[in-house]
Amino acid sequence: MSSDRLGFEGRVAIVTGAGNGLGRSHALLLASRGAKVVVNDLGGSHDGTGKGSAAADAVVAEIVAAGGEATANYDSVEDGDKIVQSAMDAFGRIDVVVNNAGILRDTSFQKITQDDWDLIYRVHVLGAYRVTHAAWNVAGGMREREYGRVIFTSSAAGIYGNFGQSNYAMAKLGLVGLMQTLAIEGKKRNIRVNAIAPIAGSRMTETVLPQNLIDALKPEYVSPLVAWLSHESCEESGGLFEVGGGYFGKLRWERTVGKTFKLGREIAPEALRKAWGEVTDFGKATHPSDIQGSMQPILSNLDTRSRGGNELIDVDAALDAPAIVAESSYDERDVSLYALGVGAAENPLDSKDLSLVYEMSGEGFHVLPTFAVVPSMKVIFDQFKKGDKAPGLNYGFERILHGEQYTEVKRPLPARAKLRHEVKIKDIFDKGKNAVVVTGITTFDETGEELAYNELTAFVRGAGGWGGERGPSGDVNVPPERAPDATSTEKTHANQALLYRLSGDINPLHADPGFAQGFGFDKPILHGLCTFGFAARAVIKAFAKDADPRYFKSIKVRFAESVFPGETLVTEMWKESESRIVFRTKVVERDKVVISNAAIELYAEIPKPRAKAKPVAAAIAAPAAAPQSSEPISADVFAGIKNYFEANAEAVTRIGVVYQFKLTSPESVWTLDTKAGGVAAGSATPPQCTLELSDADFMAMCTGKADPMKLFMDKKLRISGDLMASQKLEFLKKIDPAIVLAAAKARAGAGGAPSAAATPPSAEVASASADTFVAIEDYIEKNRAEATKIGVVYLFKLTAPDSSWTVDLKDGKVSAGETAKPGCTLELSDDDFIAMTSGKADPMKLFMDKRLRISGDIMASQKLDFLKKIDRAAAAKAIAVKKSLLPMPDAPKAAAAPAGPAQAPAIFAALGKLLTLQPNLADELGAALAFAIGDQRWVVGGAAGKGSVSLGAATEAAATFTLADEHLVALVSGARSAQDLYQHGDLRVDGDVRFAHKLGIFKGLL
Amino acid sequence: MSRKVNVIGVGMIKFSKPGASEDYNVMAAKAARAALKDANVEFEKVEQAYAGYVYGDSTCGQRAVYELGTTGIPVFNVNNNCSTGSSALMLGRQAIAGGLAECVLVVGFEQMEKGALGSKYTDRTNPLDQHAGVMSRTQGFDTSPPAAQMFGGAGREYRWRYGTRKETFGKISEKARRHAANNPLAVFTDPLSLDDIMASPEVFDPLTRYQCCPPTCGAAAAILASDDFARAHGIGKSVYIAGQAMTTDFASSFSDSMIKMVGYDMTVSAAAKVYAESGVGPEDVDVVELHDCFTANELLTYEGLGLCPEGGAEKFIWEGDNTYGGKYVTNPSGGLLSKGHPLGATGLAQCAELVWQLRGKADRRQVLGARVGLQHNLGLGGACVVTMYRND
Repeated sequence: MSSDRLGFEGRVAIVTGAGNGLGRSHALLLASRGAKVVVNDLGGSHDGTGKGSAAADAVVAEIVAAGGEATANYDSVEDGDKIVQSAMDAFGRIDVVVNNAGILRDTSFQKITQDDWDLIYRVHVLGAYRVTHAAWNVAGGMREREYGRVIFTSSAAGIYGNFGQSNYAMAKLGLVGLMQTLAIEGKKRNIRVNAIAPIAGSRMTETVLPQNLIDALKPEYVSPLVAWLSHESCEESGGLFEVGGGYFGKLRWERTVGKTFKLGREIAPEALRKAWGEVTDFGKATHPSDIQGSMQPILSNLDTRSRGGNELIDVDAALDAPAIVAESSYDERDVSLYALGVGAAENPLDSKDLSLVYEMSGEGFHVLPTFAVVPSMKVIFDQFKKGDKAPGLNYGFERILHGEQYTEVKRPLPARAKLRHEVKIKDIFDKGKNAVVVTGITTFDETGEELAYNELTAFVRGAGGWGGERGPSGDVNVPPERAPDATSTEKTHANQALLYRLSGDINPLHADPGFAQGFGFDKPILHGLCTFGFAARAVIKAFAKDADPRYFKSIKVRFAESVFPGETLVTEMWKESESRIVFRTKVVERDKVVISNAAIELYAEIPKPRAKAKPVAAAIAAPAAAPQSSEPISADVFAGIKNYFEANAEAVTRIGVVYQFKLTSPESVWTLDTKAGGVAAGSATPPQCTLELSDADFMAMCTGKADPMKLFMDKKLRISGDLMASQKLEFLKKIDPAIVLAAAKARAGAGGAPSAAATPPSAEVASASADTFVAIEDYIEKNRAEATKIGVVYLFKLTAPDSSWTVDLKDGKVSAGETAKPGCTLELSDDDFIAMTSGKADPMKLFMDKRLRISGDIMASQKLDFLKKIDRAAAAKAIAVKKSLLPMPDAPKAAAAPAGPAQAPAIFAALGKLLTLQPNLADELGAALAFAIGDQRWVVGGAAGKGSVSLGAATEAAATFTLADEHLVALVSGARSAQDLYQHGDLRVDGDVRFAHKLGIFKGLL
Repeated sequence: MSRKVNVIGVGMIKFSKPGASEDYNVMAAKAARAALKDANVEFEKVEQAYAGYVYGDSTCGQRAVYELGTTGIPVFNVNNNCSTGSSALMLGRQAIAGGLAECVLVVGFEQMEKGALGSKYTDRTNPLDQHAGVMSRTQGFDTSPPAAQMFGGAGREYRWRYGTRKETFGKISEKARRHAANNPLAVFTDPLSLDDIMASPEVFDPLTRYQCCPPTCGAAAAILASDDFARAHGIGKSVYIAGQAMTTDFASSFSDSMIKMVGYDMTVSAAAKVYAESGVGPEDVDVVELHDCFTANELLTYEGLGLCPEGGAEKFIWEGDNTYGGKYVTNPSGGLLSKGHPLGATGLAQCAELVWQLRGKADRRQVLGARVGLQHNLGLGGACVVTMYRND
């Protein structure tokens, strides 16, 4: 008998209904393992009739014969206290109660009698209660001695239902509820309570199941579960298990994530019907195991409150919807047409007005600032034209009245622009019968700088009444009592609306007499925003400094009344401060206020755009306008590309793609023809792959500050044509910065003319490769015997930037230039050389990819393995010492980063600390994990202790993670997940990848 | 009620590396003649021809068929990326099953260029742009061959989920080479050790070079006929198509899973349809030719076809359930990995191998007692054709 045998020595168990079947089997098993057993059996038949002592006695005799200890009891379980007492009398304690006694009274629900119902209840539920309650409470019982194991016998009939067993099913599931509560109440006193739902052939089932199935379902297949659950070492409690025929399994509740409605608003049955799929979808499910878990969705919904709505407006959906993004553009023609539409240049000789409509005006071309509403309104109209409704707003155009308008410009609008708009519902108010919907439209220019903000307040007729917030009301910007400080009178034209609508508001109400009559107007009315433009123009003329529209900041108006084209508008203005003018506009003919509660704010100084990319395109088109600065611009980069193309003609030709770069802000177009090796401004050759991005992003991409893929994902880079060709843009990273700088210098020196032909003075060419050659020399000095055995003179001809180096392994010398007759010449780019010597590129692969050309003794190239042993970090001192001795001018390019990682040591130190504080985290890691970062290796856990973090350990690891320092930092900052790094190939895993699932522990480490 | 469709003849030429082949029309005609001879039918009896190829100008199909004769029959050119061959086969089957023809020729051929697959037309929307979009969202783009990035990325995702060893992928290639050693028509007939495969240059983690199928030139053909035709021409019992289905991409292809993007759900759905139509399930299959363009895809396809449970591929592979002596023999021909992958011909080469297997005429590759064969041919872009063959 093995030492981990489950024994019951000294334990006393009551098994009810133990004369036959399952109960007998449980009793025999427990007794065989040392338990003293009270064998209870009433001795009746399986339908609960009759009684006798023979059954119990036989089992006791069997136990005793096998050397066990048992006593018989013939009481009904309804007299549970007597059964318990006989256990106390015989053995003095109770440790285990197995509630097994049961009977069947199967009948369809239609035929069931009260007697059938009551009897089943009494034996199964009342009986189990009485026996368990007595064992729980008797003096010296489970509660007092703080130990107990209780098992209830449930059934699949109760869990799933079964025809003809309504009474039995009720009782059996009732026991599960009893069991779960006793598990909670018994927890503190070490009383563990479980239920089993066995399938076994027994006297009870012999009438139900065919014999061959009964044979397969031996009670002996169930009793091991009873024994284990009854054992002191079993901590399981509150569990329900299905068992039989060799199968053991546990049940739990599963609940759909379901649908949660916000509170505070009627939940219509129709809404529930609509959400029924969500309510019943087990695709997303939880497994609540207690009342707290059950309540969780309800508790977390307590604080949500619906903001109301009705069939026309769903306030929650509208306010929670993400901003709609749209794009548009305009040019001088749109600007001029708008200005004419709002009455500008009525006097074409007025130079101020002319500058609003004539792009070659001597005053300069100024955009009337209220033009900012035009592109924003166009976005709204386009939405309606497409039939798109914003989420939660289910009404048509016909219900809307433009109530108020606020327009602000962040700086003077450019004469032409490409714009991006974000449309968001800001507020929704319930005005009783009507609703008010406030829409905010933020407009950005191409560089992403905010240019304007519009807020449109619309009355939505008949859409209110859900009892929601009424919102602000009352008057603002009320004119003072005094006479106006200025007044402007302008007569509109009879065809004013027909002119204004060309700026984009195509509502027929302003053009179609029949349509207007349908809305109750005698004739088409003027656009409110047209009157708005007239008023703004009047205020600017009267109060902006020098009547210059560029001082305009914002305007807020309320549309009080309609205007008919041809009527005369009088705008009365009050200067409330230097920057704030309150005004109102009236129609003279009808003496009605048409714009009220209105004010305009002015800037004290004309705002300037944020400093942005330099106007390179202008530099190409008109050299005189180019910046004198010698800071590189994109034109300089293209000069660098041209130089690269010339220096690497063969490699470039192999790319075989014609690229077009369309740069914006400022705009320029460049064609890179890798087939012909040409770089030209403009679109000279039809491109196969076109890349559109901003000048600034292009510069960032070429200087390695921005990743093309990231730009692409962020939609800052658009690629059209051959998507795959964009993969071949790696060459952009190889552009020699020295050339770019030289081009910039030449351009600045030549008064801004770009100079693609510029070449750098050779003194400026230098690179990190120089350091490597010092390291090679250092290596040769330290390993002279090994090195000179190779005995070959290598000449390295590096390109981009160009340099040549002789590595003489006969004499063990390294020098710049071609200083000895080479046995083997290797030509490759400076970058590839660095990659090769730092182990990032395999010489053979470079050779196969035709990036490394070998001439002379090709066999000698096979002896290049020593290059992999070059350690620049180890040679750091030598590099420092030698720097002044070797012909190494100051490098414009940053020296290569040291091989060791920068952030990793701190991160692993923090990890070590964390694991010391929280040892369970170390357990979760589950094994020794190694991290190779740069040239260092950390091992977490393993032989040195599960919570340990050690540097340089050679310990075997279950998985090795190889990643760059920057990617480890991204993991820590949470910018990238381990899975994302892995899928992108930035995290390499040797061993079981699933260990990478644990790398979340790095998140937030520093 | 559709009619039973018999494969009365198959033919195939030895596959070769790009640059070393004959012209497409010559290759196609040789394969077609071999199939006609195998069926013992004159070309004049052929009522329609379906020609599959991907790379070539329009009407290459006619040019190839004209080598056999100019009888004026309809010739259809079929292009469906890597599943072109089986797409042509499906059209031929439909013609006969629907009673529109009694005997048709299906021929697939390809004359490929060296190097990784790329796009030919760069002035218009790339048909794989949505697939590439999934890739750029989930793992970015790099300079590796695009197809290797796609299937390799699916392999990465699988490894993330199940912790699969890299060698498990390599093991598939080792098996492919071992099988191909017995196939004189394969491009690669030299076995490779697992070490050789793992040591070959990495193309895209976890795929090494020897886990990627090579660009290949070649041709294969099949003659399909109705029972009536077979009877009238004294053709005895033939291997027949017991079920066949094609699926194209579902919305799930464009979610954020590389496994789904490379067509896993297309495989699952097509296989389910075929099992339902043919009345035989995966447990009844004896031999499988499946689309192993990369080892990662063969691994995924085991699960997609239900040859093993999801997540069970590693066990399936190491226990040898994909080769002789195991539950199935997958790709006895050497598969795309070793036999080669001439896009248009592949689906018909798979068909030829299975027909030979079910006839018991596969020489040293013979799977003993094979009666039920399953074919899986997948193209990105996408189309997946699954076909069940029986001989009973």
